[in-house]
Amino acid sequence: MITIKFEAVTQSFYGRTIFQDINAKLRSGTITAVTGQNGSGKSTLLKLAAHFMLPAAGRVSVVEDARELRREELRNRLAMVTPELRFYPRLTARENLAFLLGLRGIELTETKFQALLARVGLRDQAVATTVTGEFSTGMRQRLKLAALLAAEADIWLLDEPGANLDAAGRELVLREARQAADEGRLVLWATNDEREEAAADAAIHLAGH
Amino acid sequence: MQQSIWRGIKLVFCKELTIGMRFKAAWAAMFMFALTTLACVSMAMQGGAVEPRLLAALLWVSLFFAAMAGADRVFADEDTAGTLLTLHIFGPAQAVLLGKMLYTLFLLVLLALFITPLFLVLMDVAVAAPLVLLGTVLLGCFGIAAAGTLIAALTTGASVHSGLFSILMLPIILPVFLPAISLTAGAFGGGAVTVSYLGGMALYDFILLVGASILFDYLWYED
Repeated sequence: MITIKFEAVTQSFYGRTIFQDINAKLRSGTITAVTGQNGSGKSTLLKLAAHFMLPAAGRVSVVEDARELRREELRNRLAMVTPELRFYPRLTARENLAFLLGLRGIELTETKFQALLARVGLRDQAVATTVTGEFSTGMRQRLKLAALLAAEADIWLLDEPGANLDAAGRELVLREARQAADEGRLVLWATNDEREEAAADAAIHLAGH
Repeated sequence: MQQSIWRGIKLVFCKELTIGMRFKAAWAAMFMFALTTLACVSMAMQGGAVEPRLLAALLWVSLFFAAMAGADRVFADEDTAGTLLTLHIFGPAQAVLLGKMLYTLFLLVLLALFITPLFLVLMDVAVAAPLVLLGTVLLGCFGIAAAGTLIAALTTGASVHSGLFSILMLPIILPVFLPAISLTAGAFGGGAVTVSYLGGMALYDFILLVGASILFDYLWYED
């Protein structure tokens, strides 16, 4: 059982407070939505959860069975989909996934790769052999979902995961997130989409300052 | 070292090599710089006799500046492509550092294999101690690769990245350069070869490797 704890967390950039005094406890097996208007700090909260940045005040900890995970341990346990996540534009989809998953010690077999592509709706044969620099934005977003699904991570941090996707893609995100939570994963997603918000078990609303 | 780290190093190295072979800008910049420098020096000397120590310095200046034209790109290219976050999420620190260092070393050895014979021919240099020259070039390349990879990581994201890279490289690489020039001069027949300098270079290279390895963990996880 993994828990992410936000204790009186405040974040500010260049003297401007983004949010303050956030308290929350997120548990495995649940989806928590982070909502709020643009600039309210949704993405920042996800980065804090991933320990990619430190809060200006308060504490963010990730605990498993009463033991706090170290940063490098946490890095191996999480997967993210964010607009800032990019694939190597001169590598193909297969090369990108094989490289990234390989770093986690996960082997990408051809069968697994084809199954992943089918699962995220990238069935076109050319996808496997085309460098990702030539992908459309929607295709890249689907490939991010493929990396997320294949990473076997316990924590999913999703920043606008449905962005740039068509209706079927958004449906796919909802379905996969629910399945992940049902399998015991902790899902935290930043969203402005009412359907994604409604699908969550809990919500953290950032009012903005 | 854990098997997973070796696997990670190999993956990072192969990824760098694949991208490098598909997008040859870094390679072209390094090799063209080396070629231009050698051509200029060779034409300026016009076959005249040059002191071995000056020849050694010219060889290392050519190697160093050609290396500067490409070695700083190992992290800057990730930053430009926006893939640094991806690598942060998936890549263990040591695999990233050592994989990139190995790739830089590979590039520098290729560069040295290109520059050194060409330099010897163009400058009409007779090598008195070829093994010393080989050892010096390899240890020098290792030092540049180790220091270059760490400093490239440190300066990534800085608005004056290239300038900062060169400024920080100079003091760190001097302890490699000075004995390298002295040993190379000796190998060119310009006085006795102080073999203990090779040991000193190897030791400094090792310190650079260990120091980079320790510092990089903080850089990667505590950033």
